[in-house]
Amino acid sequence: MEVKYLTEFYHLDEFRFLDGYKKHGGYVQLDKALKMQPQQIIDEVKASGLRGRGGAGFSTGMKWSFLPKNNEPRYLVCNADEGEPGTFKDRLMMERAPHQLIEGMIISSFAVGSKKSYIYVRGEYDFPIKVLEQAIEEAYKAGYLGKNILGSGFDHDMDVYRGAGAYICGEETGLISSLEGSKGQPKLKPPFPAVQGYLRKPTIVNNVETLAAVKYIIRDGAQGYRKYGTEKAAGTKLFSLSGNVKTPGNYEVPLGYPLMDLIMKEGGGMKPGRKLKAVIPGGSSAPVLTAEEVAKATLDYECLAGLGTMLGSGAVIVIDDSQCMVDMLGVLMHFYHHESCGQCTPCREGTGWLNKIVHSILEGRGRLQDIDLLIKVADNMKGRTICALSDAAALPVLSFVSKFRDEFEFYVREGRSKVRGNFYAQMHH
Amino acid sequence: MPKCTINGKEVEVKDGQTIMEAFKKADEPIAHYCYHPGLSVAGVCRLCICDIEGNPRPQIACNTTVTEGMKVSTKSDKVKEGVKWVLDFHLINHPLDCPICDQAGECGLQEQYMAFGKYEPEMAEKKVKKHKVVDLGPTVVLDSERCILCSRCVRFTEEVSKTNELGIFNRGDRSEIGCVEGKSLDNKYSLNTVDICPVGALTSKDFRFKQRVWYLKDSDTVCNGCSTGCNVKVYFNKEGMFRVKPVHNEQVNGYWMCDEGRNIYQFANKENRFEKGIKKLGGASLETMLPGALAKELHQLVKSGKDQTAVVLTGQYTSEEYDSFIGTLSKEFGIKKVYHWNQNEKQMGDFDGLLIRGDKNPNTKGLLKVFEKHQIKTEWQDLEKSLESKSIKNLIVAGPENLSVFADMDSKLALFSKAENLIWLGAAKVEALTSDSGKVKNKNIFVIPLKSFVEKEGTFVNHSGLEQKFKKATTILHETLTLTEVAILFAGKNLTLPSAVEKPAFVESQRRSDQVQLEHRKKNEFVFKRGTL
Repeated sequence: MEVKYLTEFYHLDEFRFLDGYKKHGGYVQLDKALKMQPQQIIDEVKASGLRGRGGAGFSTGMKWSFLPKNNEPRYLVCNADEGEPGTFKDRLMMERAPHQLIEGMIISSFAVGSKKSYIYVRGEYDFPIKVLEQAIEEAYKAGYLGKNILGSGFDHDMDVYRGAGAYICGEETGLISSLEGSKGQPKLKPPFPAVQGYLRKPTIVNNVETLAAVKYIIRDGAQGYRKYGTEKAAGTKLFSLSGNVKTPGNYEVPLGYPLMDLIMKEGGGMKPGRKLKAVIPGGSSAPVLTAEEVAKATLDYECLAGLGTMLGSGAVIVIDDSQCMVDMLGVLMHFYHHESCGQCTPCREGTGWLNKIVHSILEGRGRLQDIDLLIKVADNMKGRTICALSDAAALPVLSFVSKFRDEFEFYVREGRSKVRGNFYAQMHH
Repeated sequence: MPKCTINGKEVEVKDGQTIMEAFKKADEPIAHYCYHPGLSVAGVCRLCICDIEGNPRPQIACNTTVTEGMKVSTKSDKVKEGVKWVLDFHLINHPLDCPICDQAGECGLQEQYMAFGKYEPEMAEKKVKKHKVVDLGPTVVLDSERCILCSRCVRFTEEVSKTNELGIFNRGDRSEIGCVEGKSLDNKYSLNTVDICPVGALTSKDFRFKQRVWYLKDSDTVCNGCSTGCNVKVYFNKEGMFRVKPVHNEQVNGYWMCDEGRNIYQFANKENRFEKGIKKLGGASLETMLPGALAKELHQLVKSGKDQTAVVLTGQYTSEEYDSFIGTLSKEFGIKKVYHWNQNEKQMGDFDGLLIRGDKNPNTKGLLKVFEKHQIKTEWQDLEKSLESKSIKNLIVAGPENLSVFADMDSKLALFSKAENLIWLGAAKVEALTSDSGKVKNKNIFVIPLKSFVEKEGTFVNHSGLEQKFKKATTILHETLTLTEVAILFAGKNLTLPSAVEKPAFVESQRRSDQVQLEHRKKNEFVFKRGTL
């Protein structure tokens, strides 16, 4: 069942502006938080069990506590470079409730001791950037940002940084490189950003949804926040439902919610006469689930990990029986080939190779050994690079080919799709 | 000082050192392209993967710090398979044009393929097309298709030369090395990028297409381009010398050398050298003879005019030569008028912050030390005065090997012209001495060709007083002499000299039974010819 926790007032236009936001309890939690001890906030966030909503699902409180305990300047960066294909929840949050994010960020900055924070927004998000900039201006005027916030003695500045639309800049070290003004390429770890990040200073990078949720942890306390969700996956999460469902869109549900319910109830079910074939549960880099697996899946980190996939950014892509899996893999491989930063050899060469093999198959030039070659190449790209983009390209290949091998073999033998029937070449020319 | 085990060998490394450094210390081979000890860690080639006990995933050796008791291995099948695949990723878009590639024979890809590869290629798709023959600057040419994007050259211009000309442009497998807009790879250290390029992507315009590297021998020596005294390797064959590359020496030059120093091979080659002893008496025509014979002949001249003989030395010879030359001449003839020809007095202290020094002589310090030893305290002005007053009849000059840095050559020759007899010792061919240009007006001119720095052994004392001994690398001109030998001959002593008679290459009557084939092969032998770019 859909809950309205973070998205309670998203239907109200006035919630976008400071006055409307304040009318519905805005900036009350900031006042409360500024009267707490920073360590107290970190402990509270830790106890709430909040996990990163961007994809990796790492404990937020834990991440914060990796910061060195000294007085070095440090930065908080909000990762709003929502690049994972299928994800569009951060955009909604920034457009409908910019102050929710800003309040969460000020509280988080206070907790980690950062005097300056950035919101790194992907370049294509024109409107959200305008909304955020306007909201930050409002917050400055009202004294929620700037010097001596609400008389607490805490100073904080916030800026919006516009990316150029590269997928790799959603990776935290890639984002930091881009923020520093260099080419958006991930950096070698260690050192981790919490030790040496933006401008070689300790830096915390969190997703939009994670930072917005901090405000609610302050409001309801750690135990209050745990009202929703499971023991290991606390709270609610926004899921971007897309693909072959009747009513696609963003839905906030508690973690642990059955995936089938999300598709059938929130998504309104399949289109008439269509059967569910597969679901990509966490953005394009998450391994695909077959219809049987979908029936068993619940939307939390552990259950999906048990099924060999991941919750990721919460982009649920529903695939019905009218879709050709070879075709879909072609689209994905084109994407990863285009987005690989080109730093590490396995990813730079591997993404291009995978793309070429899949397109050879799609153009009717495939050989049967190409299917095994896809698996071999993907296997050897996995875990061999600086960042996870290589894995993100390899995992869909491995799951698509192993779970829908018959479609690939049919395509190679017949030179056409098993499902669609028409030629790829006809479709594209 | 953590201890770790590398492929079963126990080694102790310094705190904070990486597994890569431990491998080097244990002298165990490990494949790598992007890692270079003189540059920062990039960790992008992913070839140096190794198994660490207790770690489920293979890690890269170049960015993993050694911890106490770490057990590292590259022997497992998992690692071998991994390296094979990473190598394959390097090769799928590589043009594999080894037969026409300059790097062939010293290429990282070839080496690793022989060690880890030797498999059937699985790539059946079209290769990515990139730019060929990109002119990066006055010294370097780039072939983007051969490039494996290890980023060594980019890091070099960022971190060592600090000129920031290079960058990687575009993304994914369309990435290419290139010059930043409005710049070209034009700095005094640009050719180091060619050395550190593990493949044939960056080639030196000077060396390109001149020789296949397997036709070259190499030997370590010390650069005589300036007083830094970089440790270098010279590459040569029977045709002469072809190139110079730096050799690592942390105390002197690290891993690098300057572009200027790479030209030193040229003035050791035949075409820039005096090959025979030359005698020009009283305006008569030139007479050539063996250097040894000429030096012997000059014994009488030096002996008879010993009180009117002065010696001029440049800082381009070895300490041993100075010692024996000055020592012999003062002992035998009591010659104490020895002068130091310092062509770069004004820029002696110049230093560009990395390697290049203003003092363009490799052994100025050594010369001054020998002067001290033999208690020689002379001023250049005295020489000028005594030449002016004609009190010097014989002038023995040990001239420069590297003519390009002796800008004052003409003015000095004019000064030396004031002596009656000019005895010129030197390796480099000074045209003015033998031509009728009128720049040299001495009555009698004697030229004794000397050995260049690669043809002798000795010691150079560099700017910091560090004594660097080097050995003989090769012989280019057999009959030439060292200063030591010249001094012995001047003193009228006997010396076994190299024979002038060249051995005939083939004597029909001495043919061995198996020599037929050799002769046959000789007809098809590769002819070395130096071309132009």
